[in-house]
Amino acid sequence: MSRRNMETPVSLNKSITQRLGGQNIVVLLIVIGLFAFFSAVSPNFRRYSTLLSILDYSYYITLIGIGVTFPLITGGVDLSIGTGLICYSLVGGYMVVYQGWPVWLGMIVCVLCGAIIGLLNGVLIGIMDLTPFLATLCTMMMTRGLGSIFSRGLGIPWPMVGSEGGWFRTIFKLNIGDVRLPLGFLWIVLLVILMSYILNHTKVGRYILAIGSNKEATRLSGVNVKLYTIIAYVISGVFAGLAAIAYSAIFASVYPGTGAGFELEGIGGAIIGGVSMTGGAGSIVGTLLGVFIICILKTGLPFIGLQANWQQIITGVVLITAVIVDLNRQNKGTKSITTARKKQ
Amino acid sequence: MGEIILTMKGIDKTFPGVHALDNVDFELYKGEVHALMGENGAGKSTLMKVLTGIYRKDKGTITYEGKLVEFTNPREAQQAGIVIVHQELNMLGHLTVAQNIFIGREYMKGVKIDDARMNVEASKLFKRLNIDIDPTEKMSNLTVGKQQMCEIAKAISHEAKIIVFDEPSAALTESEVDELFGIIRDLKEKDIGIIYITHRMDEIKIITDRVSVMRDGAYVGTLISEDSTKNDIISMMVGRIIYEEPKTKSTVAKDAPVVLKVENLNAGRSVQDINFELYKGEILGFSGLMGSGRTETARAIFGADPKESGNIYINGAKVEINNPEDAVKHGIGYLSEDRKRFGIVVRRTVSENSTMANLENFMKGIFIDKKKENTETEKYVESLAIKTPSVDQLVVDLSGGNQQKVVLTKWLVKNCDILIFDEPTRGIDVGAKSDIYKLMNELVKEGKSIIMISSELPEVLRMSDRVIVMCEGRKSGELRIEEATQEKIMHLATLDD
Amino acid sequence: MYQIKQNPVVKKLGFNRIVLSMVLIAMYCFFAIFAKNFVSYNRILSALNYAYFLGFLALGVTFVIATGGIDFSIGPVMFCAAIMSGYLLTHYNWPLWICLIASIAIGALFGTFNGYLVAYKNVPPFITSMAIMQISKGVASVFTKAQSVSWPQLAHENGWYRNLIRVRVGNMYFPVGLVILLITAIICAIVLNKTKMGRYFLTLGSNKEALRLSGVRVRKWQMLAYTICGLLAGVAAIFFVAAYTTVQPGYGDQYNNEAIAGCVMGGTSMAGGLASIGGTFIGGMIISILQEGILAIGLNKNYQLVITGIIVIVAVYLDVLSRKRRV
Repeated sequence: MSRRNMETPVSLNKSITQRLGGQNIVVLLIVIGLFAFFSAVSPNFRRYSTLLSILDYSYYITLIGIGVTFPLITGGVDLSIGTGLICYSLVGGYMVVYQGWPVWLGMIVCVLCGAIIGLLNGVLIGIMDLTPFLATLCTMMMTRGLGSIFSRGLGIPWPMVGSEGGWFRTIFKLNIGDVRLPLGFLWIVLLVILMSYILNHTKVGRYILAIGSNKEATRLSGVNVKLYTIIAYVISGVFAGLAAIAYSAIFASVYPGTGAGFELEGIGGAIIGGVSMTGGAGSIVGTLLGVFIICILKTGLPFIGLQANWQQIITGVVLITAVIVDLNRQNKGTKSITTARKKQ
Repeated sequence: MGEIILTMKGIDKTFPGVHALDNVDFELYKGEVHALMGENGAGKSTLMKVLTGIYRKDKGTITYEGKLVEFTNPREAQQAGIVIVHQELNMLGHLTVAQNIFIGREYMKGVKIDDARMNVEASKLFKRLNIDIDPTEKMSNLTVGKQQMCEIAKAISHEAKIIVFDEPSAALTESEVDELFGIIRDLKEKDIGIIYITHRMDEIKIITDRVSVMRDGAYVGTLISEDSTKNDIISMMVGRIIYEEPKTKSTVAKDAPVVLKVENLNAGRSVQDINFELYKGEILGFSGLMGSGRTETARAIFGADPKESGNIYINGAKVEINNPEDAVKHGIGYLSEDRKRFGIVVRRTVSENSTMANLENFMKGIFIDKKKENTETEKYVESLAIKTPSVDQLVVDLSGGNQQKVVLTKWLVKNCDILIFDEPTRGIDVGAKSDIYKLMNELVKEGKSIIMISSELPEVLRMSDRVIVMCEGRKSGELRIEEATQEKIMHLATLDD
Repeated sequence: MYQIKQNPVVKKLGFNRIVLSMVLIAMYCFFAIFAKNFVSYNRILSALNYAYFLGFLALGVTFVIATGGIDFSIGPVMFCAAIMSGYLLTHYNWPLWICLIASIAIGALFGTFNGYLVAYKNVPPFITSMAIMQISKGVASVFTKAQSVSWPQLAHENGWYRNLIRVRVGNMYFPVGLVILLITAIICAIVLNKTKMGRYFLTLGSNKEALRLSGVRVRKWQMLAYTICGLLAGVAAIFFVAAYTTVQPGYGDQYNNEAIAGCVMGGTSMAGGLASIGGTFIGGMIISILQEGILAIGLNKNYQLVITGIIVIVAVYLDVLSRKRRV
């Protein structure tokens, strides 16, 4: 850096590349590459309807991915998001379908349930010091049970388009004339912008990043570490609630007992997108792109003749690979610091 | 020199079993750089922790800016303007420099953190300090030296009136040290009082005005830096009565064979070109200051950390040691300085800890021979006088000295020929200490060889047959016990020319 | 309280285990009073059906938790083993006994892969668990083209494996499975407490670095713990199909949690270094009685999920508290 920078206020207008970060570019290229690959191999993949279905199935995964990015950044994890989103959708849907609540209220119930479970996770982890994966494993189990108990074990059909309250489905897919517009993508983009802003420009985000970077140092700087840990899990829960709405809007019915495995796609997307397993780093845009990789694979594999089941295997392998790559990068990055530290 | 900003009088602090500070006085002027010296464990850090509110004092008064003060936590001290730049850096690697400096007290613009302003303020700070760091750089991308500068900038941003530097130069390169000194001179001009803890003699003359020496938790005296010589300071530091008679003559046989030879060992900055030989029946003392690379050398020999290059010969034959498993196979045992982390397994029993390195010899078919394990352990419990109700006691319930003896037992059970003892008596009481000394002497009589790393000079002089001194990752000298004195070792350990 | 704990008989049996046994008995009494027909022998046999495979899973995961790790892929791995070996049996007509071995081998293979990633690649265990959970489900459904597999009934020529859980003696059923599970538990206890391997597992969980510096090849042993865990998941698969015969790909998650719950309840510390096979055994029984009892009083399976979740949280929190007091 030159002297000049010391005198003039440092401008924040870095180039787009810097802002997005190197990793995001790589992930973006992979997304484009995968898309190009499937398009080249399978003519059907090139259809507009395929793009729409990729997007449709990506919403809820993207939402839990964005949410879980926050606990991951603190160095924790939230496994309850997958079964959670089904649970919230069942509870909200039950209110709408069987209790006659208006749909908008049902949607609020979804988000509220998410916030409550998120709060529970936050308290178990932030205050009671349980290991994050164990605490959320328990809430994963509990949300699965609670959802079924609430819906009496039945599938819940949220109102369809055309019926009363069906308008909520158009939040995510809108038909104008014959053209279907993936309106949901717009909301996703707006949420990504909002959460990026929160992560990078507000105290909540800053302290969540700091906790993941060095919890003890953050505490010594006078930051209420417990509070911000809880907030991270509440964010994750709220987004699981939003994902519940997206899921209800895309699928005709929601069935109890499903949802396990969604969390893997969300967490996997976040990690592929550059959230560090050891905490402290991550970006929302990265998570979005990471989730897209998973969603394109999921949708694209059947087009090249592989059964949908392969997707599970591939997600698992991709996840492990992403973590190993992350760990190797960490090792290289910190080596100089640790050797210097060992001196003392 | 300006007026007095800080007076500490009659400070007393006792921890269970240790009288850490004994009636200590200390005084600091505005615009003064006041060095605080003393051996490891002399009480420097404890005194500073009392000052900055990390510990509460038992007795004594602290007068700061003419008022009696009593800080109950580091934040209170910080707000009053007393800041400590820790040796261990408290950095948040993923955040930027400016974000680190202002963590916990960000400038806000509504709900938005005003990063632009923080960058500007950080720039201003750096400008004041005349250092060249980009506030938007990620902390982990900086060198250790630059990170330290950021810590200093953070201290100053608290409007500090007193800054405590805890061995700031330990991890810095030469040019970084120069830069640091430049900053300290600037701070001095701004009438900030500076307490500078250091081990480096050469720095005293260059940067400090006065130097206070502590020894065994007590205040020894204060000298004007300019008028004092290195010898004055050293004699104040080591002037304790040596109640343990130093060894006057090596007890190693003249024709004793070399059991371990280390040739051109390199492992990072802390271990550079180390060469030495260890004879059968010898206690080889490794002396030097903290961070001089003694532990790193030991760990590299033992295979606990990777080494870059170098050869190791055992009984004349070259051996490959790439991990502790290899080392143990070749009959080397390593007693770590950090007992809790690397020595004992706290949630297991005394006997389980004792046989950990040598379980093969306690097998009866595929089963562990619990009886043999217990009788063998009991033998050592008795001979080492380990105070434990039984060998089935969990190690976590033993005292430090007894835990250390358990780790020792592990290597005795393994019957290693070469033992590396890293600070074998750190943090244990006098009785256990002399037990361990006695044991070491018995071991060498049996023909074992010992490398003893120690920061306590009297211990080195009492036990060693030969002393190797390390300084900044290199071997700076080797003394026969007949010629070794505390002063000579100190000189070698603080090589400045 | 202290005096009770110091009583030599209590000490020998273990305070924790005594309390657990009392919980087990109390729970049984509770259901016996409030549920219809709960004391009938058939109910007990039905509860045992559940206890068998869960017991094997819990025993396996005890080893992993003892090393300070975790494996919550065991449920799906068990399903994968049951599905694949069952498919070999029904579609490719492999001999039954080879299929049983195959089931165990498949479990061990997944476990070893898991352990390799944790021990040699330093991947956090919960990540590998998640990934392997997914992979094992995928492998199973790819193998059977997403169809469920029905193992043969007792009457079938290949049905003798069902005798592994119970044998008809006269007009009574004798629970062979319980005997096998008990023997396995005893073997596990011996392995954990009396052999080098068990000693290393426990030491590894308490202080991995100290063990490494004692010259022990820790990575190998760490991996082995996961192998054993996978192997027992393979055994659990056999007992699962012996009890229920039909397995569907894509499921099995909930059994992870129940197995871990049984293990943690039994006094095995999540921080590693402390493990009790006896505790795990009783813990597994408690979960099984609980699930049978919940069904018997007319509630559904889902209540059990919630209750188990709460039990684990409480058990782990007690462990956290006891550790805090120690330090």
